[in-house]
Amino acid sequence: MIRCEDLAFTYPDGTRALDGLDLSIDAGERVAIVGRNGSGKSTLVRTWNGLLRPASGRVLIDGAAIDGQRVAALARIVGMTFQDPDRQLFSSTCRREVAFGARNVGLRGRELEAAVEAALAAVGLEDRVDANPYDLGGSRRRLLAVACVLAMGTPVVVLDEPTMGLDKAEMERVTGIVSRLAAEGRTVVAISHDLQFVAASFARVVRLDAGRVVGDGPVAIEVD
Amino acid sequence: MLELRSVGYRYPGYRRRAIDGISLTIGDGEIVGIVGPNEAGKSTTCLVAAGLAPGSIGGELTGEVLLDGVAIGAAHPHDLAGRVGIVFANPASQLSGITGTVFEEVALGAVNLGLPIETTLARTRAALRTAGIEDLAWRAPQRLSGGQTQLVAIASMLAMQPRHLVLDEPAAELDGHGRDLVGAALRSLAARGTALLIAEHDLDLLQAIGAHIVAIEGGRLVAGAVA
Amino acid sequence: MLPGAIAGQVARLVVRRAALVTLPLAIAVGLVSVFTRHGTTALFSLGPFEATLEGADFAARIALRLFVMAAALTLFGATTAPRAFIADLERRGVSPRLAFAIGAVLDTVPALVERGRQVVDAQRARGLDTEGRGLQRLTAIVPLAGPVVIGALHQVEARSLALEARAFGRPGARHLLWAPADTATERAIRWLLMVAVVALIGAAATGNLPHVP
Repeated sequence: MIRCEDLAFTYPDGTRALDGLDLSIDAGERVAIVGRNGSGKSTLVRTWNGLLRPASGRVLIDGAAIDGQRVAALARIVGMTFQDPDRQLFSSTCRREVAFGARNVGLRGRELEAAVEAALAAVGLEDRVDANPYDLGGSRRRLLAVACVLAMGTPVVVLDEPTMGLDKAEMERVTGIVSRLAAEGRTVVAISHDLQFVAASFARVVRLDAGRVVGDGPVAIEVD
Repeated sequence: MLELRSVGYRYPGYRRRAIDGISLTIGDGEIVGIVGPNEAGKSTTCLVAAGLAPGSIGGELTGEVLLDGVAIGAAHPHDLAGRVGIVFANPASQLSGITGTVFEEVALGAVNLGLPIETTLARTRAALRTAGIEDLAWRAPQRLSGGQTQLVAIASMLAMQPRHLVLDEPAAELDGHGRDLVGAALRSLAARGTALLIAEHDLDLLQAIGAHIVAIEGGRLVAGAVA
Repeated sequence: MLPGAIAGQVARLVVRRAALVTLPLAIAVGLVSVFTRHGTTALFSLGPFEATLEGADFAARIALRLFVMAAALTLFGATTAPRAFIADLERRGVSPRLAFAIGAVLDTVPALVERGRQVVDAQRARGLDTEGRGLQRLTAIVPLAGPVVIGALHQVEARSLALEARAFGRPGARHLLWAPADTATERAIRWLLMVAVVALIGAAATGNLPHVP
């Protein structure tokens, strides 16, 4: 589904974030990406939806190189949440916030409503549909961001630190979501420091260090 | 010693209390960890214990918060700065943004207290040592990792030499390495006699540093509370 | 000002930024004055509107003044580290709170720019098309501006609490660890500049300024 060949990327300030990275993820897999801060995790996933274009090497999604494609087009295939959910919230209600992404990928009318309601229910916010996102606590806003990507119905779902600051019940909800996505045949990739979450949800763990893959295997071996 | 006696708190503009009937005692060198689901009142308890609620944010407090036997009462946060410190979950938001080196950042609180230069320098050096970041002293604060930034935040509180430190999910946004760093610093602090109150999700971290754990839910302590 | 900019090695940066800021204003003023200012020397006509040389002259002078103002502010921002500025203010007796407020303004722009970049990324990842046609880009403003502003405000609250806990609001003297050096040369230059400004104002007031034909 996603193949990275010899990816290299350097930030304008000179940081070499990706340094000859090769990775292959099949459709329907559940993969956790782990590694120290600065190892290239966030940079890597941003090459999948075109937010960052590698300096060399290529990214193939579903067999086709994604070179010239616009981010808006790639967003229909690779959905993504970010480490700081607040950087995307702008609507006055949770419902509208979740509808934003779904509408951008082409959902309308009944289909859109249904997707939004299902997504909010999946993250446990069905009773806060008309609440202002900033009236929810920080952890609920993180769940709201997950709902936003769920409603988009993308075949690949990338979650960046989805359980940061979540309590046990909320973490279990996210674990449940990952299972359901996998059951639907979607590909789920998560960047996470949360060892419990990784162990509970992901069969395969890819470890990055200094912009390369240094470990790739079953969870028991890769997790500290 | 940090003591909360039947403390309740209502945020301004809200009708119901966020926490109620909280009674806790943390002796010198003791560590008490508060665990519980989100929005159960962990952060509120931290803000109250540090005197920021109602001191900075208003609202209504019932019961008493005592530092070394003296009630905080209506004291303003800047008067409490040398007695109780607070560290938050997000490392970056605790940097002042106006200093060029970690040394200056850590010294800032001491300078604000109006201390003579020699005292400020001595305290800053001691704080850097306790937090284990002497080697970061001349680095730019904005260019550190999350864990390192969190240690800077802890050190900046230490420079004011409070005998009590409150931490609201200090390791929430850190990776494993950062968590280890913070855990080590906290152990060191307790060994020096600082009373620590830590709100956390990470039970492993709390257990690793030898915290006495209490649970909070729906604004109230659950099943036995006193340290 | 120009020597200062060149000395600080920020000449290109200052010119570019000041020009960016001035341009929209200059265009607006230019359009209005070229066509509506009273004048006798016509340049060309556009429908019912007549462009005059006097109008163009006026517009050019306004644009130049705006540019100089913008450049001066930009030069200050580009060459002054917030901490040096705050330290100096405090040393001269300005209240720490006020000094910090002023310094924070200088610091805000890079932080907002960075945040803006993050917000654009997040919204693009949700399908917001920023590479499309003009009208589309206009409608993209709310999802882009909203989180930047709200997020910034949100962060202000968190940051204020952290600062309060570090006795920022404490009244009374502080013994600063460091303040920027104030050499005799710098003092001399300052006095010279002030005298020059006073002289210029005097000359302008009494009508003795040389005219540019």
